[in-house]
Amino acid sequence: MKIVGIAACTSGIAHTYIAKEKLEEAAKSLGHTAHIETQGTIGTEDELTLDEIKEADVVIIAADIKVSGKERFKGKKVVEIPTHIAIKSPKSLINKISEEIVK
Amino acid sequence: MDLSKIIRADRVDLNISAKNKDDAIKSLAHLLYESGALYDEQKYLEDVFEREKVSATGIGNGIAIPHGKSVAVKETSAAIGRVCENLNWESIDDEPIKFIVLLAVNDSDKNTSHVKLLSQMARKLASNEVCKRLISAKTREEIVEIFSE
Repeated sequence: MKIVGIAACTSGIAHTYIAKEKLEEAAKSLGHTAHIETQGTIGTEDELTLDEIKEADVVIIAADIKVSGKERFKGKKVVEIPTHIAIKSPKSLINKISEEIVK
Repeated sequence: MDLSKIIRADRVDLNISAKNKDDAIKSLAHLLYESGALYDEQKYLEDVFEREKVSATGIGNGIAIPHGKSVAVKETSAAIGRVCENLNWESIDDEPIKFIVLLAVNDSDKNTSHVKLLSQMARKLASNEVCKRLISAKTREEIVEIFSE
């Protein structure tokens, strides 16, 4: 499964980046690929490319605030969760999404 | 990545004898103040406690990352501490807190390399392995080392 997504938290300092790392690591360990863009205090980093979005099977938005650029995901399956879910149980989140998609 | 810019051995305390969360945060904020990272310790603390009200800063594995983006911060930096007794602290896995990384971000420092370094530090804390090593580190230098790898 190819995953793209966005991470963004209230102060944009810490949770954003932990969520990114957790999701990417969990995806890798489960045999998927994930690329998570961060929208933090320092602005947008690791921005998603249009090609990546096009090829993605699912979009995960792990955010506690409004993220920008959601229109890029039009027509995609989008899963929106708070950052703490991505930090606490990234693997079960991805497994659950994976099951849903196979259906 | 030069994390030594934001993490220094004199901002690490591996034996904090705090009885509760607020005391632990105050003790680490004082380390930051003493080492010249803050203009105003009280104001910084107010901003950190304000942030605490928003959502849990315990990120699991016994680690918490309280943080304040504040005009009272002179130098974007971090203080790191391990408490002698586990603390009650709102955490995503409901486990007590043993290890604290207190982040201080200058309010107007929106685009500097220092904020970037803090985000790199946060990413390291996503690793269960790194968390384990931090909690069992023997010296302050070892802590700086783990983050600098």
